[in-house]
Amino acid sequence: MTEPSDHAAAAYRLLHSADRQLACGASVDEVLEQVADGEADRLNDHQRHCPHCQAAIAEFRLLWSPVQDYARRPVLVPHRLRAAVLKQVDRLVHDVWYTLQLTETGAVRIAARVVAAVARDAAAAVPGVRVALGRSTESRIAQLVARATQRHLHPHAAVGVLGQTAVIDLALAVSYGEQVHEVAAEVQRRVIAELQQSIGLQTVTVNVTIDDVLPKSPD
Amino acid sequence: MANGGADGFDDDYLVRRAQQGYLDAYAQLVNRHAGLAYRVALRIVGNHHDAEDVAQESLVVAWQQLPQFRGESNFSTWLYRIVTRRAVNRINRDRRHFSTDVLAEHADESAQTEVAVERNETADAVADAIQALPPAQRVVVVLHHLEGLSYADVASITASSVPAVRSHLYRARRTLGTALAEWR
Repeated sequence: MTEPSDHAAAAYRLLHSADRQLACGASVDEVLEQVADGEADRLNDHQRHCPHCQAAIAEFRLLWSPVQDYARRPVLVPHRLRAAVLKQVDRLVHDVWYTLQLTETGAVRIAARVVAAVARDAAAAVPGVRVALGRSTESRIAQLVARATQRHLHPHAAVGVLGQTAVIDLALAVSYGEQVHEVAAEVQRRVIAELQQSIGLQTVTVNVTIDDVLPKSPD
Repeated sequence: MANGGADGFDDDYLVRRAQQGYLDAYAQLVNRHAGLAYRVALRIVGNHHDAEDVAQESLVVAWQQLPQFRGESNFSTWLYRIVTRRAVNRINRDRRHFSTDVLAEHADESAQTEVAVERNETADAVADAIQALPPAQRVVVVLHHLEGLSYADVASITASSVPAVRSHLYRARRTLGTALAEWR
């Protein structure tokens, strides 16, 4: 350690004065705060006429300048940081949001969004269904999926898929005058059949909630 | 605090999209804020190796907790909170468990280059003085004096009050000032 300069010694004495006050009565801590907050030039009425305050401000300005320089120093971010974060996030989402079928020629993965799209299209094609939307489900498998994805909302959260098992919640709006329970049963039947046929899923559960009734489509 | 970007989308938009599961939106947020996460972590934990760990964990945790983020603060303020908490946990953990992994910091060539680039006598003296502060004082100094956040923001990030932040800063400045005066 080098010998403290005169400036440093003066600053040190100010910081360790017994009553933490300048000769004029001003608070040492408040003057240091003023300088450290970059307001050394904004003198109040007292400071404009007080040699003690002005001297203390000058000392603290010198003392604190290395901190201000340090704050401005750019910090180089490791290049690999962004990629590492996105890789982890990607793994969190995608490891569970795929169905998986192992065949003799390799693995087949089908994204959950594909499962969701097929389910919604199948539901929407049922006569009497006006709008089909997916939403999160409370089933055991869906909860497992939700836990695995840290309950992250996903645009395709209508579907919980693990391996060759899927749980799908569909919220439907049906046309006025339809036999609601018959529409619901037909949606379940068609969606299950479609997913088993086109995706190859073995176990499919379709929960249907009909929560709106709309006028018949002009078509 | 910046809440926008050159690409025209502000953080709020990207957060909403990311909450809907659009990974591209979160990738944008990571691009914008990885620097913040790493810088704050580095200044609190004091070494590149732990800072990288803390920044990485924080950005992954932010993704996991995004559904609970209600936009009551800026995304950056929320991220400051996550990084600060994890950095302090790291300090406390390292205090309890003496590390024998002395080679870790030099295990990676790129990290070593960054250490070399940043080496500067005065900057090192400031960094050492900040590292010598108790964690609570170190955090408020980093957030207020180095990151330029207001007392209110620091209080929000540290789940504290403005008078408490002020009190920590008073003590921290006195200690830092003394250390710098002795160094000079």
